[in-house]
Parts: sequence; structure tokens; C-alpha cells
Amino acid sequence: MKLPQSSARGKALARELAALSIAASVEPADLWAASRDSSPRAILWTKAAVAPHPPDVVAWPSSTAEVAAVVKLAAATRTPVVPFGEGGGVCGGAVPIQGGIALDLKRLSGPPSIDLDARTLDVQAGMNGARLEDLLAAAGATLGHFPSGMTSSTVGGWLAARSAGDRSTRYGTIADMVLSVEAVDGTGEVLRTLDGPTAGPDLTQLLVGSEGTLGVITSARLRIWPRPNRIWPRCVRFPSLQHGLRALRSILRAGLRPAVARLCDPLDSILSTRTGLRTPVPAPLRWIVEAGRQEALRVALKVPFVLNRLAEGLPKSSLLVLALEGDDCDEEGRAALGLCRGAGGEDLGAPPAERFLANRHRETFRAAPLFAAGAYVQTLDVATTWERVLPLYGAVRSAVESRAFVLAHFSHAYLEGCAVELTFVGLAGMSAAESAQASIDDREIDLELAQGRADACWNAALSAAAGEGATLGHHLGVGGEKRHFLQREHGEGLGQLRALKAAFDPHGILNPGKLLP
Amino acid sequence: MTSVRDELQAAGCAVVEDDGLRAVPPSVAALGRAVAVVRARKLALRVRGGGDAPLPPAAGGVLLDLSSLDRISSIDGATGIARVEAGCSMAALEQTARRAGGTLGPLLPSVRAGSVGAWLAGPTRGERGIPGARRETAALSVAAVLADGRIAESRAAPRSATGPDLDHLALGGSGRLAVVAAAWVRLFPASPALVSSWRCEDGRAAIRAVERLCLDRVAPVRARLSTTATDVRLGLAWEGLESAPLERDRAARILERLGLALDPATTTSQWVREALPGHAVEIDARWSDLAKLPTAEAQLIGLHAGGSFAVIALAEGASADVCAGRARAANARVIAPRRLRDAGPGWDALGAGAAWQRLVAALGAGE
Repeated sequence: MKLPQSSARGKALARELAALSIAASVEPADLWAASRDSSPRAILWTKAAVAPHPPDVVAWPSSTAEVAAVVKLAAATRTPVVPFGEGGGVCGGAVPIQGGIALDLKRLSGPPSIDLDARTLDVQAGMNGARLEDLLAAAGATLGHFPSGMTSSTVGGWLAARSAGDRSTRYGTIADMVLSVEAVDGTGEVLRTLDGPTAGPDLTQLLVGSEGTLGVITSARLRIWPRPNRIWPRCVRFPSLQHGLRALRSILRAGLRPAVARLCDPLDSILSTRTGLRTPVPAPLRWIVEAGRQEALRVALKVPFVLNRLAEGLPKSSLLVLALEGDDCDEEGRAALGLCRGAGGEDLGAPPAERFLANRHRETFRAAPLFAAGAYVQTLDVATTWERVLPLYGAVRSAVESRAFVLAHFSHAYLEGCAVELTFVGLAGMSAAESAQASIDDREIDLELAQGRADACWNAALSAAAGEGATLGHHLGVGGEKRHFLQREHGEGLGQLRALKAAFDPHGILNPGKLLP
Repeated sequence: MTSVRDELQAAGCAVVEDDGLRAVPPSVAALGRAVAVVRARKLALRVRGGGDAPLPPAAGGVLLDLSSLDRISSIDGATGIARVEAGCSMAALEQTARRAGGTLGPLLPSVRAGSVGAWLAGPTRGERGIPGARRETAALSVAAVLADGRIAESRAAPRSATGPDLDHLALGGSGRLAVVAAAWVRLFPASPALVSSWRCEDGRAAIRAVERLCLDRVAPVRARLSTTATDVRLGLAWEGLESAPLERDRAARILERLGLALDPATTTSQWVREALPGHAVEIDARWSDLAKLPTAEAQLIGLHAGGSFAVIALAEGASADVCAGRARAANARVIAPRRLRDAGPGWDALGAGAAWQRLVAALGAGE
């Protein structure tokens, strides 16, 4: 790995930051660490041993005042400022593509103020997600926010990207949990929104989701709840995806709010929930799940259309994993089960759901061996209203089936609709072992090829989803990976987004090259 | 040189000059053109929809009368969504929703009497209570007219993570940054309310009891407080085909632990819903603020863990002005009647005054 070297601009900025008594570094390892996130693109960079977008300097402010001082310095020198948490984003939102200052917020992680009686939490932006939930658990509380990457994400990152966790059906997304935020705008002004009745456009909801392009979120007040003392897990099998979706909708429309409600498409039912292992699965599909037999896997991924056809030959049943929480979860669970039976569901009992819940965060890490084998793995999070969910799923599958192997699940359910999370596994190029042995030139050629393949798949999927009228992001944000589709997402609303940018970041220094196309 | 009247007519609007200039666009496209005319001439702009209280144009300005934009172009009871133009009255939308098996749910009387556009652009931002003691806006997606007449419309999805929620430039904005032209509105499934009542020592105890239910995630969709000579009667209503009986039973257990006595008298849904006597005002308040108010009668809707919308009336026939004064003293925000409405803290109070000015300029909007 050739680590990035410090630049003259970086050294000058480091001196200025030192004069402000703000910790900063131009060490190659620090520049590299702040140069990438967990997006497929960045993982391919790492495999190819390149770091194409390092910052000039990494700064570690330890207070809101220091964040404001850094932004003021950046505004005066017209230097890009890119907020950085844990680097757990998957859309390239924290990659400093124009260099500048990587504003690492991890030192904004002082003890949170937990007021369970008032159901509120005051927390700084750099607080790690898993650590926060541990602290809340010790106080008998929960935020109810459990994104799959919670061990490698921060509160600030959640807010910046409008994150959602796997219990959003009960607790909402982070945008539903936030009561107020503190942020520093692009001029260095500190903004503090209010928790309580306010007037006019809701500034909190305009800052949340702005991905560091309108302001740097430094702290927030969030809604918390008592930690549930009981959980009622269940797995239900439906004869088809349509039956499962009908049941999921009726559960929500009946006023029930399961914490977890995840409906797997037929293939995901077999592969992800580990309940269908009695179903014989063709070997090439097993290679994908287990990331074994690297050579064979790459051969299989050369014909994704065939893989997808093979998958279609498997049983059509879909599994719904439910988990209800709280004092009345048994009664609510029985009511939900009744609705499932009414939609043709068969109760498989608690154990399959318990196994799924115990392993649900391992999915994030299952991608690593696939990348090492020479594949790419992408996750697309789209959402729409109930009547459009199946057409959306079908359209995206059709658009990418000749480029990548596709599996999907339906989760984050609301009264009016739900999210569809699709995973694409395609052929990237060399394995990690081959790449390590290859020359620099060969690695660069391989990286270009891999990115081209991955981009083609991604663009086809986004285009199909946009054509179906879905929103192109439910909880993973835009970053650099979806911004070229933002015109199709927002249409004339893009003018509103540009106006917000001009208002909050008049110098254009906050996370340039993100969100806005 | 063409007059404003000519330009508005050329935009496709019927124009009436009574107290001032009133333009009636027949379509969303004509509304867009009319807004562009008004903004280009930097005239004061007011908006009024079907059912909204009479409103004159500002001096030298234009009133956009959206009463012709009253179409409900789509309603899907199974999904629970309706596509409606901003000038449609809330009463008409509720009636149509009911026929499709849906409802807008409990709303403040002033909201119920007005238009969809006034609801979304007004002080409540179209918010209502949802299960889990939370609040959300009823607008799934907003079609908003920008200053140059273009129509910005968000995707009709239950949630989105594609940048800031741009609908919030129109929601609660009173048409300052963008004019609401149409929206996809969320509907609840219509279901009969399950109603029970309890006896409390006083109003403060009643409010604290309702707060406790919200903090324990069994928020009712409505609450009604009524003071008698000896105590306060607290009526609560839950809706939800499967959830209402479960929540009501759980609430009863919680209230029993708090020492509240279940009222054996039959409580009707009508009593919980009926208009308050006296000179009531509508407010938005935190629980701690509501507990400070010496209300004789109150209706709570849009209840959530942090507080509630409320219609309140004081004892002894106090005027609305007195009632509003008491509410303000308790830090509540007065929403209606309109003449008493609090502007509330603007962006200046948040440290964002300069950003607001830049935003108004960038959007070409008027104050």
C-alpha cells in the first residue's frame, strides 16, 4: 500500500490548526485512514492498494467551539471541510474528494446526558453507536436505533445521512428520533434548534440528512425509551412474496408496531435466515453465500443471468421475521400472527427468528470475503408506497440481472409503505491475493475494470428505481454514489437544495462534491 | 406596460378586485405562473384555500385564492394515501377518505375547518400523532411552487434519505419560501374509537396521567378533560383495529397504578370529541407547560412523548384573550384563533438569522 504523502497545503493548515490549539496531523497513516469509508468503491481502492482522495490534513476538534474555529479557518482560506465519524458510510459521503480538512469528530464523544424520566438524551456527534447503546442499556434505556453498521458509525453520521436501524418500524428513523440539533454552518456560526413548539420551516429537518454539506452537526437531543423487558420473536412462511407483503401491510394498518419486520424474498429466505437450509441450494449460489471456492465463484459471476435463473428455480416461499417488544408483546404478537395466518402464513415458531436476530448484524461483514474473492457487493435502499413495492422490486431485478446476482428483503415498514433493500453481487476482477502479487499497472487496470462493472450495475439499478417513482435512498444517504441521480429524485427541488447550500455554506467549503450533482 | 392584473390574467387566473387584487388560478400550472408574476414584482403574497377564513390581500399585494384547486385526484384506502390539491377543504378530503375506508385522524378544530394547504403550510405543519407516541407530518410528499413558478415535488415515499427533507421548506412556512400546491396525504385506516374515562383529583393530575401514558407508548388519539365541582373527568380514546383494545387495557393498568379511578359511567366517543364550551384557544405545548395551565376544559390531540396540541378553555367564561395570555405565560404556543396566533421563535432565535436571509434571497422569496 502506498500511503498518501503530506502536501504543502496540509502542512500549512496543520500549523494554523496548531496555532488554534486544535489537534491535527499530516501523517500518511492518518491521511489514509480519513480518505475512505465503507463504500464498495473505497473497498476496491483498498484492495488495489490506492488512496486516490486523501485529505490534506486531519483535525480532531474536541468541542463545538473548536469545530467553529476550524470552519472559520476553512472559510477564510476556502479550504474544503469534510466531517468524518467512523467511516462506516457506504455511499462515499465522508471521502474528501477535493482534499482539504478531514474533520474527525470522534473527540466529540463526552458522556451523554440521559434523562429517562423525560425520555431525552443529549449526546455529542462523535459518540460511537454501539457504545451509546451500551451506555443507554446501563441506564435502562434504549434509543431503538440499530443500524447494521452501528459498531462503526456515530450519532453525527446517523443524523447526517438520515439513518434507519432494523427496529425503525417501532422507533422510527433517526429523523423521527431527533428533537433538536446543534450544528456549525459554513460561515462558522453555531446554530441550535429548539426542542419544543417552534414556528416556520423546521430547521432541524433541513439540517438532518444534509450529509455535512450545510453544516457540521456537533450534538443532538434525541428521544429515548425504557429498554423493553421482553421480546416476542416469530418467523412466518408465506407461499409467495405477494402474500407476505399483504400480511406486512395489514399488520401495520391494524396499528401494530413490531420492532423488527423483515420480509425476505424467496432467495434471501433460503440464504439469509438460515431456516431453509433443508432446501437443496445449487452450488454456485452457495459459493456466493459462503464466499468459498474463489475461482469457481468468479466463473459463476461471469454469468449472473444464469445465477438469477437458478435462483428462480428455488421454492417461492417468503419468510417474515417479526419481533415485538414490551409488556404486551405476547398479545400484540398473537394479533400479528392472526393477520399473517389470514394472509396465508404458516407459523414456524420462535427459533428461526431468534437465530436471525442473533446474526442480523453479521451481514455487513459477510461482504468482506466476497470482495477478497474478486467480487463487488452493493446494497441499494429504496422505498415506496405499498401498491408500488412489487413493481419496484421487479423493475430493479430485471435491470441488473444480467450484471449481478440479486437478493432482497423488505423492511422499515410504515403505514403507507416500506423500504426494499437489494444486494447485488457481481464480478469485479482479481482476487485480493492476485492483486497483492500484481504490478501497480495491472492493479490500476483491474481497479478501473472493477469500478466500471460496479458502476454499470449501480446506475442500472438506480435508473430502474427512479423510473418506478421510488425514493433512491431510504437510510443510507447519497454521498458521492447517488448524487448523479439526485436530479431524477428531486426534479425542480434541486433548486431548493442549491438555495439551502448557498444559504448555509456560502463559500462552498462544506463537503464539496457530495449530495449536489 | 402591462399591469399585475393583466399578467395574472395572462397566467390563466381569474382576477377579482375587491379589497385588493385576488387571483383565482384554475390549475396548479396557473398557480405556478401566478406566483412567478407576484414574486417577480416583489409584491406581498397571501394564500387562501377552500374553507379558510376570509383573508384580504396585503396592502398593495395579491391574494392567491386556491378555492378552485380542490381536486382529490387519487385516493387509495388500502395503502392509505390521497393525492389532493391545496385548496381542497379538509372537510371534503375527510369525507372522501371515509368513503375509501380512511380518515385524517383527530385534528384541531381550526385545522378541520380550513384547507389542506393551510393545514400543511400553517403552524402545525400538518403534524398529527401516530402510534408509538410520536408525531409526523401527514404530508407524504408536497408539490410546492417556487418563486419562479416551477413546481418542486418530492417522491411519495414513507421516508427518504436523499438529503434534507425539502418538504420542510413549505411545511409550516405560510407560503414564505414556497407555496403548497398539492400533496400526497397519509390516511389512517378508519376504525371505531375505544373510549374510557377516569376520575382525577385535579387538572394537573389528569395531564400528568396522560403524559405518563405517552411516555409509556400507549398514547391515546384523543384526550378530554372536564372539571366538575368535585374532580376532573378524563376521557381517553384509542383507535387501531388490533391495537386499540391492547393499548386501552395497558393504559388502564398504568392509570390504576397512578391511583386514578375508572369511571363506571359509559363514556361516549361523542363526549371526547365534542367542541369545548366557552372561549377556547388552540395551543401547542410541552407536558410540563400543559400541567401549569389551570384549564377547566381541554381536548388533547396529536399527543406524543413530548407534549400535545390542545384546545383549552378556562373556568368562569374567561375570554380567548385571557386564555391565550395564560397559555403564553406557561410557555405554550398559541395557534388559534388566528388573531391571537404566536409567531413563535424564528430562525433568529436559533442562530440562523443570517442563513434565513440568504435563503430568502437564494429562493427569490419574499418575507
